[in-house]
Amino acid sequence: MNDHLSLTVLGWIGIYAPVALGAIGAAVGCTIAGQAAIGAMLEVNSGYGRFVGLSALPSSMSIYGIVVMFILNRSVTPINAGGLFGIGVLAGVTFLVSAVYQGLCCASAIAASKSKPEIFGLALAPAAIVEGFAVFAFVFALVAAGGIPAT
Amino acid sequence: MSPRYTALMASLPPLGRLFEAREPAISRLKLQSRLSLLHPADRHSLDRAIGILSQGLVGDAGAAAVRGDALLLADAQRFFEEVHHPLLRQLVRHRLDLRTTIAALRRRHRGELEPPHDQAWGFGPLLPTIERHWLDPNLGLAGVFPWIGEAAHLLENTDLIGLERLLFGLIWRELDRLALGHNFDFEAVVIYLARWSLVERWSNYDAATAAARFGQLLAAGLGPFRDPLALGLAR
Repeated sequence: MNDHLSLTVLGWIGIYAPVALGAIGAAVGCTIAGQAAIGAMLEVNSGYGRFVGLSALPSSMSIYGIVVMFILNRSVTPINAGGLFGIGVLAGVTFLVSAVYQGLCCASAIAASKSKPEIFGLALAPAAIVEGFAVFAFVFALVAAGGIPAT
Repeated sequence: MSPRYTALMASLPPLGRLFEAREPAISRLKLQSRLSLLHPADRHSLDRAIGILSQGLVGDAGAAAVRGDALLLADAQRFFEEVHHPLLRQLVRHRLDLRTTIAALRRRHRGELEPPHDQAWGFGPLLPTIERHWLDPNLGLAGVFPWIGEAAHLLENTDLIGLERLLFGLIWRELDRLALGHNFDFEAVVIYLARWSLVERWSNYDAATAAARFGQLLAAGLGPFRDPLALGLAR
């Protein structure tokens, strides 16, 4: 009975982890990049919009988390609980860490491009590469979720 | 890493290279206004460090001479007792090592055949080594400071600008080393300020201003002096 309950709890943790961890990471990443955008606005006289837009980039991680949650969402049984927990938690941790480091990349891009606007596009590359790794985790979470029994 | 330091660092313009800027990228007034974002405790530690770091490296003139070596050393002692931030301690230690080494070279250059015994003149773990190797051209520090031979040579030739340039370059490289991994934290702010201070001091070196200042000091020293010969001619 206890084992059944534990497995059920783990399964539900796995279903909700991508959203929760992705949202936490996105909040931290957007805070870091947003503070950099505010700082840059003190120094420049135009181009505020692109700084604010760039600072919102880490929010994509919470969207990935929501999609993974919808894919994993099903009745939790002892048979599928392990799979739900493994995929959900690992995908969530990936989104969290990616969002924080993407926020740092965005902050650096903002700090650099405020003085040299011509490098704005190139300065986005590190943040885009981090996004790429998160997309790997996202896509393969969807693929792996297809193998988890529905009940 | 505090978000307030992300905003602060992002609001500061790049300083460029040390000897290239004709003036700092940000004025002192503007910089002080931006530093209001610092946490009060960090601000206090930073002010204590600036009090020591802002002392001149080479010249006898200026604040260092007015306050005296003993006061500066007592100030440094108090700093190490009060401030525990590793980077600030490292910066001040490095600067005091440089000052102690240059002070020894200068004393020897002006003919002192042994280290002073009756006064505080240096700081740090290098002091016993320097005192033991006082008459060695490199003060026994060639392994620790590969630049010391060049510094001694510049001093022998009384090329004080060249010596200052060498020391500024050393500090700049030390800051480069310390800056690794610090982009948006308190350490990054400290390193930025240390760099800004170097750029500001270097860009303020101006022969015309120095000559004008020398004239002012001369006039103040002579007081209301009247040339009797000139008066005689007037009669």
